[in-house]
Amino acid sequence: MEDAQVVSLLVRRCTTGDAAAWEEIVQRYHRRIYNMCYRFAGSADDAQDLTQEVFIKMYRTLKSYDVDRGAFLTWVTTVTRNLLVDHFRKTKHDRITDSLDSPASEHEDALPLSEQIADTGLPPDARVQSHETQRTVHQALLKLSPDLREAVILRDLQDMDYREIALALRVPEGTVKSRINRGRAELARLLQRTYRQVM
Amino acid sequence: MPEETKHGMQCPEFDAMLMDAIDRVLSSAQQARFEAHARMCPSCGPIFAEVDAGRLWLKSIEEVEPPVHLVQNILASTTGISSARLALGGEPSQTPLSERMREWFDVWIRPGFTAVRQPRFALSFGMIFFSFSVGLSASGLKAKDLAQISLRPSAVKHTYYSTQAKVVKYYENIRLVYEVESRVNQVKRVITPAEPAPAEKQQNRNNDTSGKPEQRQERNSSRDVNQPVLASLPSPSVTMATLSWRLV
Repeated sequence: MEDAQVVSLLVRRCTTGDAAAWEEIVQRYHRRIYNMCYRFAGSADDAQDLTQEVFIKMYRTLKSYDVDRGAFLTWVTTVTRNLLVDHFRKTKHDRITDSLDSPASEHEDALPLSEQIADTGLPPDARVQSHETQRTVHQALLKLSPDLREAVILRDLQDMDYREIALALRVPEGTVKSRINRGRAELARLLQRTYRQVM
Repeated sequence: MPEETKHGMQCPEFDAMLMDAIDRVLSSAQQARFEAHARMCPSCGPIFAEVDAGRLWLKSIEEVEPPVHLVQNILASTTGISSARLALGGEPSQTPLSERMREWFDVWIRPGFTAVRQPRFALSFGMIFFSFSVGLSASGLKAKDLAQISLRPSAVKHTYYSTQAKVVKYYENIRLVYEVESRVNQVKRVITPAEPAPAEKQQNRNNDTSGKPEQRQERNSSRDVNQPVLASLPSPSVTMATLSWRLV
């Protein structure tokens, strides 16, 4: 049986109140949703809370999912994205004072971005593999605007195709590609600028 | 210079092909033209380099591990149970009885109860309950009687035989009553006199004021007395006179 059929069957069982099917769905998607939330919100605590909220919302609105209208993953991504955007709007005031020197999240060392980059004296190709680079990129990613950030997260971190992203974000595919390009370029400029400052 | 042509490609075309070039889905000829333009164009070249660099930066990010209890927390916040698998096949001896009962209820009873809770089902079940309670009260059965029922095999057997005896006795009683009644009817038929003759019956019927013929008679007699009535049954004298006149 194909994955889509399995998921469709699980969803159908869930709507009839099958707790085991719901647990299977949680097991399948919690890692993906947590990572999406973590990369968007930047904090492990926020990501955990948001992931729970996403699943609560999914659990309540699972009956509204229509198999014929798209893949379950797209629906899940749409639910997650909407909740992340709401969260972003609610916490907008808190982020006004943020800067590149703000402390990192629980998954990172509590070092400012400039210090993290200063420790690395390696060329970019070598740094790609390093753990510290990941933290640096994560911090830079949080500086992107929400539109660009969600586009590059879905494409480069969640490996979704353009059509799925367009469906999840409810924008045309051309807009998706444009946002991904701008997000990648903005991220590269941000990292290069920070790197030059440190050097 | 957005409209500048480098190696047969204009900058808008370069922008349109940028994503496909990054994804490596262009044909070799297109890719070669694209890269040549990127090398030569002062505005497009840096854009391509930045986008490609950003993609590589993002690809360097690995998945993070979710917290250990995330799944349990999600299940607890949605279904109210930490794990259906544990509830079904885990270690039941370590789980409190109340929790196991609640989980069992959530897994087996709640789904059906959720479906049944719809208004149309509620009305039907209400009617069934009402009919059942009316039937019980009509038959004289009380809840106290149900509590006193013993389900031991000997008691069930005893109940069966006593019920059968009651039914047989009731049937015999009814039969006796009907037999007595039929005998009484026979005796009545013998004792009572014969029925009156038809003439008497007719007379009796005329005396009966409730009969329709009498009403018709009354209607005839109620006609105007001054109006001559050609009698349907002429008197004998008139008939004889008429007959003699015809003979003459």
